[in-house]
Amino acid sequence: MTRLSFALCLTGLVLTAPATAEDGPADLPMDVPVMVEEALAAGIDHQYTGPWEYFVGGGAAAFDCNGDRMPDLAFAGGTSRASLYVNRSAIGGELQFAEKPDALPEDARDHVTGLYPLDIDNDGYRDLVVLRVGENILLKGGPDCSFTEANRAFAFDGGRAWSTAFAATFEPHLPFPTLAFGNYVDRSAPGSPWGTCHDNVLLRPQGPGGERPDYSEPNVLTPGYCALSMLFTDWNRSGEPALRITNDRQYYREGQEQLWRVSPDRPPRPYRRSDGWRRVQIWGMGIAEADLNADGFPEYALTSMGDTKLQTLDDEAEHDRPVYRDIAFDNGATAHRPYTGEDLKPSTGWHAEFSDFNNDGRLDLFIAKGNVQQMQDFAAYDPDNLLLGKAEGGFTEAGDKAGIALPRRGRGAAVADFNMDGMLDLAVVNREAPVSLFRNAGGRTETGTRPMGNWLEIELRQNGVNRDAIGATVTVKSGNETRTRKLRVGGGHASGSAGFVHVGTGTAERAQIRVQWPDGEWSAPFRVFANNFVVIERGATSAQYWYPVE
Amino acid sequence: MDRGEALFTAKFTELDGAGRKMATQAIIPTKRKRPPDTLFQRIAGMDANACSSCHREPVTGGAGDFTVNVFVNEGFVNADFDTVDPQFSNERNTNHLMGAGLVELLAREMSADLQAIRRDALRKARDTGEAVTADLVTKGVHFGKVTAQPDGILDLRQIDGVDTDLVIRPFSQKGVMTSLRQFAINAMNQHHGMQATERFGARWTGETDFDEDGHADELTEGDISALVAWQATLPPPIAETPDDPAWREAAARGSAHFDTIGCNACHLRALPLESLAFADPGPFDAAGTLRGGEADAVTYDLALTDWADTLERNADGDYLIPTFGDLKRHVITDRQVAALGNELLGQRFVERNEFQTSELWGVASTSPYGHRGDFTTLDGVIRAHGGDARASRDAYLDLAEDERSALIAFLKTLVIPQ
Repeated sequence: MTRLSFALCLTGLVLTAPATAEDGPADLPMDVPVMVEEALAAGIDHQYTGPWEYFVGGGAAAFDCNGDRMPDLAFAGGTSRASLYVNRSAIGGELQFAEKPDALPEDARDHVTGLYPLDIDNDGYRDLVVLRVGENILLKGGPDCSFTEANRAFAFDGGRAWSTAFAATFEPHLPFPTLAFGNYVDRSAPGSPWGTCHDNVLLRPQGPGGERPDYSEPNVLTPGYCALSMLFTDWNRSGEPALRITNDRQYYREGQEQLWRVSPDRPPRPYRRSDGWRRVQIWGMGIAEADLNADGFPEYALTSMGDTKLQTLDDEAEHDRPVYRDIAFDNGATAHRPYTGEDLKPSTGWHAEFSDFNNDGRLDLFIAKGNVQQMQDFAAYDPDNLLLGKAEGGFTEAGDKAGIALPRRGRGAAVADFNMDGMLDLAVVNREAPVSLFRNAGGRTETGTRPMGNWLEIELRQNGVNRDAIGATVTVKSGNETRTRKLRVGGGHASGSAGFVHVGTGTAERAQIRVQWPDGEWSAPFRVFANNFVVIERGATSAQYWYPVE
Repeated sequence: MDRGEALFTAKFTELDGAGRKMATQAIIPTKRKRPPDTLFQRIAGMDANACSSCHREPVTGGAGDFTVNVFVNEGFVNADFDTVDPQFSNERNTNHLMGAGLVELLAREMSADLQAIRRDALRKARDTGEAVTADLVTKGVHFGKVTAQPDGILDLRQIDGVDTDLVIRPFSQKGVMTSLRQFAINAMNQHHGMQATERFGARWTGETDFDEDGHADELTEGDISALVAWQATLPPPIAETPDDPAWREAAARGSAHFDTIGCNACHLRALPLESLAFADPGPFDAAGTLRGGEADAVTYDLALTDWADTLERNADGDYLIPTFGDLKRHVITDRQVAALGNELLGQRFVERNEFQTSELWGVASTSPYGHRGDFTTLDGVIRAHGGDARASRDAYLDLAEDERSALIAFLKTLVIPQ
């Protein structure tokens, strides 16, 4: 063979290999994201405060309200004022927000427990559902993060309850979304608070449509069991989402977790024992769903005091028999007490969300944690969890290694890519402590950080009703792996996000995306390259990429 | 580099970790459902003992004849498909790797150019509030257009001959592999069952022995770096001046015909390259192939090789890399001329009848021809050009026999020195 003798110029190198950074922590093979807390430096100074009524709630909403596709942030404040912050972050840089004091009407800033973004009136601007202790408020979104109260315009009676949960779905043939509000303790009832949970409410738009919805005829969901989170979920792949509600056993009597059939044109009806529904009684605080075992049926994480539940359909389940069993222990997801520190008392879990924080292609589970206030039997130092998905299935705790184990009482949260670098960041609302804003800086190494796996962020758009395609399913196929995401409004703890759907793709550098639109129609496959923001318009033959301002 | 050559020529054994009984040949680490009946298998692999088993003509790092064709597919977990039935794969002839470092450098500069054009279009659209359409042209090669909207949306539909992320992937017959590094990792797994830690290791798969053959971390980052270093510094093919005056005269005429009938529309005689600094890892690889930020890049200055002086330079000081290619994909068949449309599967989003322009440097040393090695003569493969190359092919057929022969005589001067 031919060989050459020549001088090889090595610019600061050795021959055999580049000088690699050390691998991550020895006990965890996967990347552990470094979450840098920088709320104050980013311009966010906010707390969720208040007496007993605000022991629960404390929501956040991450959504684009000014048309630049970057997620802005709104926070509930309890007795503090709810606030909206406009995202000014540089791409891939440190997070930066600017408060927009006049964004939310003054009347809608007090007594706020939770926030969910949703384009209710199909005008292309996301509106904001404001949960409150007292009258709930629908804020109609406008340009440049402007919001106006729309209860009267939408014929919406915000009631006087103590609202702590919300979910929405677009039912077939209805011109606007169906809204569900979950309420907590009825403080005016005799014997309050014990056994005096308020009923919940489901609101279907009335009439043929037009520019404004008409929510003048509520359906009362009784009994209510002190809901703290609710989610429309297609648990049986029927195409007809049911309403899952997690309830706080602290205050109900003879209550339980709930699942309501919500069939078009029919009153909602709860699944009962005769339907296979098993009684589960927990201090239910938050719901997250994901199809962890890729069988097409979602699993549910239910946060509570003590064990987090992770429910999957049991072998006894049938099409209309929702029989669930708990697999949290087998999957290392109980997160039942603090994983670091000296406090061994049970944890108190709130917001839950499945996302891929390290872009390895596997879903992780974030859980906000925090003592209710000063409950002696529960951990006082109760750090948030970051349960990283393992290659062999299940989860392993990395909250402390990631840097999110702060001595704060977490409540609601928003998971979004605030600086558009493909890595998910995290905002956590804390009770009587500053909001935590974590920037995901990449995988931890001994000397700093390194890039993690590949990713896609996907936006769906359609015309007419339901522009953000709530209820759609996005499948991302790379090789033999198919990753699935559902677009939902609801769940978590008093917190919602809207915008790009994030999917980590691990080592896959390209993927085929298919969309099942909310009406059940499947799209053609879209071929895309990883590490891009993808915009898919319904009916389009090819996807488009979106690029943030550099 | 010595280590790279040793790895390139090594006949891997089971003691090294050869074989992948529980892993498919897929680029994305994928488990088999059950081990195969035999470790070696022509379709699903592993199918070679050494890189140099196939890349061997006329020198190590060269090409291979039909005997050493390989089969390309994404891998299947189901053993029913891991049979010898070739309908689930594409058969490919072995390319040579001479000058591969220069090819990758060209691709990197072209990718950077295209992405800069995209960036400018997006910026202008945002600044003006109006859609901006930009031609994607780099080093004289046109890759279609993009249209940027003021809101940052990019219309991809007019992109031509390059992936939608505007990364030129210069390797493989389809032009679907980004770098020598990525290709080395893929090939080591597919052909030898030797798995690189940076793709198949615990970080991504949770296992140090993903293929379950009893050998953990079979190829380190250093091993792959060595393979890259050796391949990147391989000398490029050259244009030889024939000793025979008749051949010399014919080659001169053939060279002129090469241009007049339009061969050079795709087989560009040379592409200008600004820098010979080859950094590893490179700038365009994705996770699963070592990237900047995961390692301190090293730079091999190819200008210090003893072959660098043979490269011509233009007035701007650019090195003229005589690849006789354009690093662009083209449709190469049409209804009448379809012999090169003989693949059954698209590959990595590229349609069956679309291939990257073959670089002709070294073509005289690397018969047979065509992506499958179907053609024993240059005349044969030229006649098989359809699609985008149809007009040139027809012009070739219209030449007198002597002139066609002259064109072949010219191509026969493009050799890999021994």
